[in-house]
Amino acid sequence: MDNEATALKKIRKNIFLTACAGGVGHLASAFSIVEIIYALYIKGVLCHDSKNPTWEGRDRFILSKGHGCLALYNVLSLGGYFEEDELWTFCRPGSRMGGEPNVLELPGVEASTGSLGHGLSIGVGMALAARADNMDNKIYVLVGDGECQEGSIWEAVMAGMAFGLDNLYVILDENKLQKMGFVSDIMRINCWEERFKAFGWQVKKANGHNVADIYKQLTGEWTAGVPRVLIAQTTKGKGVSIMENAPGWHWKMPNKRELKIVMQELGITEEELEKCKRHI
Amino acid sequence: MQKAYITALYGLMLGDKRVCSLLSDSGTEYDALIFREFPNRCFNFGIAEENKVAAASGLAAFGKIPFVYTTGAFLAYRAYEFIRNDICIQKSNVKLTGMGTGMGWSTLGPSHHTTEDISALRALPNLTLFIPASPMELQACVKAAYEIEGPVYIRMCMHDNDEIYDAGYTFVPGKNIVLANGSEIVVFSTGSIVSEGLAATKLLEEKGVSVRFVNVHTLKPLDKENIIAVAKDVRHIFTLEEHTVLGGLGGAVAEVLAEAGLGVPVKRIGLNDCFAAGYGTQAEVKKMNGLDSAHIFNKIWEAIK
Repeated sequence: MDNEATALKKIRKNIFLTACAGGVGHLASAFSIVEIIYALYIKGVLCHDSKNPTWEGRDRFILSKGHGCLALYNVLSLGGYFEEDELWTFCRPGSRMGGEPNVLELPGVEASTGSLGHGLSIGVGMALAARADNMDNKIYVLVGDGECQEGSIWEAVMAGMAFGLDNLYVILDENKLQKMGFVSDIMRINCWEERFKAFGWQVKKANGHNVADIYKQLTGEWTAGVPRVLIAQTTKGKGVSIMENAPGWHWKMPNKRELKIVMQELGITEEELEKCKRHI
Repeated sequence: MQKAYITALYGLMLGDKRVCSLLSDSGTEYDALIFREFPNRCFNFGIAEENKVAAASGLAAFGKIPFVYTTGAFLAYRAYEFIRNDICIQKSNVKLTGMGTGMGWSTLGPSHHTTEDISALRALPNLTLFIPASPMELQACVKAAYEIEGPVYIRMCMHDNDEIYDAGYTFVPGKNIVLANGSEIVVFSTGSIVSEGLAATKLLEEKGVSVRFVNVHTLKPLDKENIIAVAKDVRHIFTLEEHTVLGGLGGAVAEVLAEAGLGVPVKRIGLNDCFAAGYGTQAEVKKMNGLDSAHIFNKIWEAIK
């Protein structure tokens, strides 16, 4: 197994252990975006400095689907923003890491999110500001496909085009699931490419679990003058067979029988679990 | 009032490149002039208030000082969660101005009125809430908003209020202004209804009632010390607002006085848990809803005679 595969495996394992430490977490939502956030912070899409997290020249990443924060916290830790041990404070009194990210508490977090449909608009403002100052910061915003049912997302999509924000990148986590079922069943949406194109955005697609593909698409050629969206095709719950593509895993922890499967597939030992778990 | 606002904003934009103007198709001919002069700092977000408010937070994260301006109903109500989550929770250095508040859009009915916004906005932590009563006070609020590092909301009325201050006027954020220093009753008021309250005060004085009239231009942080000080030696206490009596100025003053244990009855004058009725000029709509100077006089007179 190469270094990248080893790192990704460790992130998934630690995501589960982090949730165990806090008692609960949005596991499946985090598993679908591991490779995307890894590509941004570790593979090198983002220009950033973990030792100087408020550096003005940094690119910004906003996790608009804030409930995927278990993936963000783990990648930030891997990227040197804070020590790994702090992960085990997740959702505990005194922690800087709650179930949704908070810009005022944790270095590396660029916006407090949690209520869906906010992050892209914040990104529009950041992209406008960077352009007004002739700075070359790029603004990346990760949104969920379920999240795109929020009307404000489309206000922001319109504004991105109206202002010609070619420093604004949306990564659409197309995991096809929302809490109660499939996006295509609940809102009959499955045509993201056409929708964004209709709003004037340049659209690319990537395998959302292939770091090289995500990196290549995001850092490749883009058309000037229009905002950009990468549709990342992902699997909600990726990495744990019983969670993959399975409605019901949006916000829950495994029972005893399921726990055995999770531990086996993520390579978690009893000792590692004991170290972190709180309520399971 | 719009002219006073835009003049103050223009002055700030001239002096500080960080200041920018965010509209949602909500500008006037004055804004068009500013757009021409500062094309890189004026943004029309179209008819999309939620996006505009959150984007203001993003601009502030890059060190800009955004002034967000639109009709109060579409700002405070439609974008409330965005004000709460993206501005107040994150302590963003954003200035929000809701215009045409109260019953200012008097021909358009309750969809355009803002008669519950004070209650909703004053509940938000980290927010400074100004409610100016005149053009000079509005300009002072805009300047104060710029000087405050953090979220500020200016609840602006839209009509061409007569100026109630003379040239020596000074504005201190969070400090009430006593406009009439009588001794028998005290009337606390705010914003667009202050001028009607002052007219009612004259009618009361003609009847021999000595009125202490206090302009509460800052609802957050509230000048609690002043409220207690001016209320403790009077027989009757009144609050007057172009707003529901539930949770606005009346609620705020009553909370302070109840906790202080003054034991003096408080009568709240405003809309009594109803939407404003009718259409007409601003004066006519105020009259229809019992908030013109004659009705205000009667309500106070009936309570004290």
